[in-house]
Amino acid sequence: MASRRSSRQESDESAGFSPTLFIVLLVISTVLTIFDRPADRSDAFGSFRAGFTDIVAPILELAAQPIRGVKGIGPYFRNQGDLARENAEMREELIAARGWVELAERQRDQIEIYEAALNVETPEQRPLIRAWTVADSSGPFVHARLIGSGRNVGIANGYPVVNDYGLVGRIFETGRRSARILLLTDINSRIPVMADRSNARAIMVGDNSDYPRLDYVGRIPDIVEGDRIVTSGDDGVLPRGLPIGEAVPTRDGGWRIQLFSSQAPVDFVYVWPFDRIVGPEADVAKVPDMPVENSAAEPESDPVSDSVSDSGLVADVGAEPAGDASGDVPLEARPSGSGENARTDGETTTVPEDGE
Amino acid sequence: MRKAKDANAIYWDLGLCVFTVLVALIVQAAPTRLLDGVNIMPTWPLIAIFLWAGLRPSFMPPIVVFAIGLTQDLLTGAPMGVWAMSYLIALAAFRFRGEDGMPRDLPPVLLRFLFMLLLAHTVAYLVGSWALGQMADLMPLIVEATATILMFPLLAFLALRRRRSGRSGFIGG
Repeated sequence: MASRRSSRQESDESAGFSPTLFIVLLVISTVLTIFDRPADRSDAFGSFRAGFTDIVAPILELAAQPIRGVKGIGPYFRNQGDLARENAEMREELIAARGWVELAERQRDQIEIYEAALNVETPEQRPLIRAWTVADSSGPFVHARLIGSGRNVGIANGYPVVNDYGLVGRIFETGRRSARILLLTDINSRIPVMADRSNARAIMVGDNSDYPRLDYVGRIPDIVEGDRIVTSGDDGVLPRGLPIGEAVPTRDGGWRIQLFSSQAPVDFVYVWPFDRIVGPEADVAKVPDMPVENSAAEPESDPVSDSVSDSGLVADVGAEPAGDASGDVPLEARPSGSGENARTDGETTTVPEDGE
Repeated sequence: MRKAKDANAIYWDLGLCVFTVLVALIVQAAPTRLLDGVNIMPTWPLIAIFLWAGLRPSFMPPIVVFAIGLTQDLLTGAPMGVWAMSYLIALAAFRFRGEDGMPRDLPPVLLRFLFMLLLAHTVAYLVGSWALGQMADLMPLIVEATATILMFPLLAFLALRRRRSGRSGFIGG
């Protein structure tokens, strides 16, 4: 028995398969898996991953070129028959769009007048960062895309990513020359959303299907089929109003979202350099009577000494009922360890929507 | 003279091995979904590992298999160690043993690969689910495994054909 085992071992080693090395590598794999769990991944592991993708991103970019070159061939031939109808539809849409542009310009002028009257300083919006996807990993463990731009162009963790149609996901791993987007469909994705029509709040939860589901919609949600779903901005991480998709009812009485961004493959994307809204503690300190859930953040005796415009804004925020609008979907109620924000930033904040 | 030719053959095979493994890893991560109708992707690295472990066992020691798996983890965004561990276990269980290495007939090769694929995907699913803290999506793995099973016979046929035509490059060849 012993001699048979040793001869087998010798045969293995002569073929390059060392059992000792195999066991050592198995242990290393186990250790790596334990310490690289997405829920509690350390900064060191995150940096290592980002550094690796920085190195391979140029190679992947090169490999993606031929794919990008031929991606339009199929749709081109398929759509030849529909060109005339499509052209007519687009002309109609263009005429309608002109009206919207005029309306937007009028409203922009109006807002400028209001802002001047209220002495409101709107933060300057930074231009969107454009990027190509260079890798596509939609396996069983993660729905993500790798883009060939990173910190070198100002991308940071948490920034929303949109394509021509709507929100695609958020940046969750940033290297110097590459970054990874966590798609809305990923099992770890949690986005606070609302129905554009009714402002009904919900949390959009990715479950690796093409249609993310809506959770925490309430007992009688004010959502109807076809409602346009947008980001609510309640987490302070994403801006309010980014288009996501349309509400679709399910057989079990729930709701799912048909994503706008899935109208075309995610290839060319825009990263929105949206800075996270600072928590309300600093603003709260200015208004002593404002109801605050976290008693530790309450001010001691700061007088209201700011301008009318400042206090007016804060008072509006404080006047919102706790169970309504922004408070209907408390972020603290998220399933533990599954929140996207917890994964990227390590903390969640309840920030009033007016903060943006 | 013959020794020099053998050495040349080894270098050629080594180059081919490195090339095919790199291509397998890049294609696995490439944005192929951009192509119309291409939504499934076989597990190319596993095919490369299996075939090269059969053709040239010395090219696929555990450290190389580990490196391939780890690279796939990093490229696809999976927790590190998931694919590395699954490839290691699958190869250890179903690698070709003995001096002759891979047999020359296709059916036993296909059967062994099928078992290896199932084991690799099962381990990856279990370890990945544990790392995620919830059950991973099974459907992509099933689709991927099916695509791999459908794609493998062609590549195995080409590998066996090359092995038969090789003069002395491969073990038992």
